[in-house]
Amino acid sequence: MEFLVNSTWLMASEEVAEAGAEAAHGLSFAGLMFYIAVTLLVVVGFLAVAKTGLNTRFFKKPATQLLEQLYVFIEGLCVNIIGPHGRKYIPMLLTLWLMIFTGNLVALILHAGPTADLSFNLAMALIAVGYVQYEGMRANGVLGHFSHFAGPRLPLAMALIITPMIFIIEIISETMKNVSLSLRLYGNIHGGHEAVVAMNKLGGGWVPVGDFLFPIKLLTCVVQALIFCLLFAVYLSLVTHHHDEGHDHGNDEGHAAPAH
Amino acid sequence: MLPFALGLSALGCGIGLGLIGYGAMQGMARQPEAIGKLQTAMLIALAFVELVFLLTVFVGAGAFKP
Repeated sequence: MEFLVNSTWLMASEEVAEAGAEAAHGLSFAGLMFYIAVTLLVVVGFLAVAKTGLNTRFFKKPATQLLEQLYVFIEGLCVNIIGPHGRKYIPMLLTLWLMIFTGNLVALILHAGPTADLSFNLAMALIAVGYVQYEGMRANGVLGHFSHFAGPRLPLAMALIITPMIFIIEIISETMKNVSLSLRLYGNIHGGHEAVVAMNKLGGGWVPVGDFLFPIKLLTCVVQALIFCLLFAVYLSLVTHHHDEGHDHGNDEGHAAPAH
Repeated sequence: MLPFALGLSALGCGIGLGLIGYGAMQGMARQPEAIGKLQTAMLIALAFVELVFLLTVFVGAGAFKP
């Protein structure tokens, strides 16, 4: 029960108090794991470069084929969720997917990792949500983006009461996106470790019962990376959808799009 | 009291996840050609239900201070 109490204030007070020595010289274990994950990613990138066989029908290197599958998957995710103009977000989503997945793998094997740390996840969530705001402002203009928060256009008498309420609630939900993205990843990865530690005690020191959770933790690694990218794509599609797509709510200036 | 409350929240989360899986499975069985769209929507819904439980564990349980 102790970890539940500790982990809530992890980011603010307790970590600083406990890890004061580490924080003093700016090195922490999670940071080291981050560099390990980045190094792994760079190595995989070098392994996957195809120097030959570019004119054949498919790549002959296995590593290239593997990453091509990943690219096709992310491309499908972008095009299906964001729409035809979603193709330009592929690099961002692919980077996030690779970083989260590698971080999860490091956390899975080394029992400490960047994604098992709330600060790294919060940083990634801030980047993602900030990028969503930036893209929304670029697609709709600054005023258009903020008027998107204010809900549908209403008659004046109702708008005076309801629009500020909707605006405040939308702003809160926008900031909650940070919390939800980061806390979900952190809770799943860190909670997996805690479950392993708690279940290892069941074996009485002889049988590591918790380590049999490895397959489900491996599944969690893939699914959490997927969900982060999926939600990022959904947020992007909400702010950048164009008027030629059927379902859009509250963004057009009061005129219904003609049926087509 | 806190472990019991956490168990209750896990129960609710389990019921919610089960309902989502039930609905998605039925939809997939009825319309196998819509599996891609159903999986995406199912994963998003699963993520939102799971978030409630995570908020309970990490924010609610921490605020209790037993």
